[in-house]
Amino acid sequence: MNTNTHILQVQGLSIYYGNFQAVRDVSFEVLPGEIFGLLGPNGAGKTSTLSAIEGLLKPQSGSLIVAGNDIHKKPLYAKAAIGVQLQATSFQSELTVSEILQLYAGIYGVAMTREKLFDILRNVGLEEAGGKKFGQLSGGQQQRLSLAIAVLHEPKLVLLDEPTSGLDPQSRRQLWERMENMREKGHSVLLTTHSMEEAEAVCDRIAIIDHGRLIAIDKPQSLIDSNRTNPEVIAASRRGKVTLEDVFIGLTGKAIRS
Amino acid sequence: MQTIPKTSTVLSSLLRADLITQWRNRRSFVLLLLVPVIILISWKGIVEKFGGPFVLSTCITIGLVAIGLMGYSNSVARDRDKGIFQRLRVAPMPAWCIMVSRLLIQLVMIVLLLTVIFIAGNNLDHITLSPSGYFVGFLAAIVGGAVYLGLGQLIVGLIQNPETVNSTSRLTYFLFIMIGMFGELGVLGEQIKKIVLWSPYGTVKRIIAAGMQPAIWNSEMTTALLITIGYAILFSVIGIKKFKWNNK
Repeated sequence: MNTNTHILQVQGLSIYYGNFQAVRDVSFEVLPGEIFGLLGPNGAGKTSTLSAIEGLLKPQSGSLIVAGNDIHKKPLYAKAAIGVQLQATSFQSELTVSEILQLYAGIYGVAMTREKLFDILRNVGLEEAGGKKFGQLSGGQQQRLSLAIAVLHEPKLVLLDEPTSGLDPQSRRQLWERMENMREKGHSVLLTTHSMEEAEAVCDRIAIIDHGRLIAIDKPQSLIDSNRTNPEVIAASRRGKVTLEDVFIGLTGKAIRS
Repeated sequence: MQTIPKTSTVLSSLLRADLITQWRNRRSFVLLLLVPVIILISWKGIVEKFGGPFVLSTCITIGLVAIGLMGYSNSVARDRDKGIFQRLRVAPMPAWCIMVSRLLIQLVMIVLLLTVIFIAGNNLDHITLSPSGYFVGFLAAIVGGAVYLGLGQLIVGLIQNPETVNSTSRLTYFLFIMIGMFGELGVLGEQIKKIVLWSPYGTVKRIIAAGMQPAIWNSEMTTALLITIGYAILFSVIGIKKFKWNNK
């Protein structure tokens, strides 16, 4: 397989925590300019997969190639090609928004002028908040700052770990638009989410992961079409019309996960 | 191919941010300084009996314990809990840069502590050392600081919960001051006095005191210096080995 055609190639990924296998032989690719959704119930292995791609944990087996760089052989080059919004990201609460942007500009080797700083703040609607400390920002503002930092160095791949959880509908819609803008600019996005509405609205392709295994991967509509006659999916359907959520429930089961 | 920023650029950005954070938390540093300065003032009468280096080295040792245990370990535990380290670790830089920046800030704090104690000792207690006494005492305090930063690292390496780190570091600080100070004076008995002399408190205090009077440096002080370095290495190695970047 030619890895140059993919921004991200995950091949045979397995992750263990002690004796527990969190990710089992997972393989998928993310293409240039694609929004790829990784869906799964709680504890399915989404965040573990993302953590391995980010280089935060070392998988027991498998390979991870980001923009042609193996994350274990050339970690700094692979990380330089990735922009990240973590699920529980926090910045130093004593620093102001401008100081945080300057810190990460230095870390990613981005030259930061006053004009560029103002442009970034304006793009994420934080032009009035540049002098505010991170601890004084609302949840939505913190999320927007985190996203601004994720794309600060124009990465080829942006990883977003449940970016809309806890956001109001307006902020969520605005984030979807930002993701679509990223795609238009040529960034690839790997997104994890619990929202089927979000996956259907913004993702070009989605993968469903359950108990650490990849159980389905396709375009949202293709997944619905190919599972329309699946008895489990029909049983999960509530209004006669099969939705992505019905497919998800049909494939992963109704039992609540911890 | 994506470009990798220079390590020097990364380190200077981290240092700038850590310095700003430390400056905005200056109230807590002032509180850390308060105990040694109060001891310095209240021990004015002891200077004649035990000598200036004894008083200065006691105050410096207590300040170093406070910086290593309460300043360093609590800030690391808090930032780890908030996920600040995880966000930094996904950036294209070696992870050691994060800790080197933190340690350099603590070094600045140690230099500030020494400056305050030396100036206050001179102005309030009229303690004057020779230039070589100030210099060697300064170097010995840096080595002593490494012991308590290592101890702070050991605490955050073994304990994940930031509240538990906070209470453990406070308890250890209290025990160090109480057992160290009273034990050294023989109030807790001869056996405890011997243990204290070779404990992390005793060896650090003795090399600082002897460093302030280079003429009295002897083989016992060299042994104390080697043991101090041994403590610093032991605590740091275990602390780094056991350290986890996140709480999950």
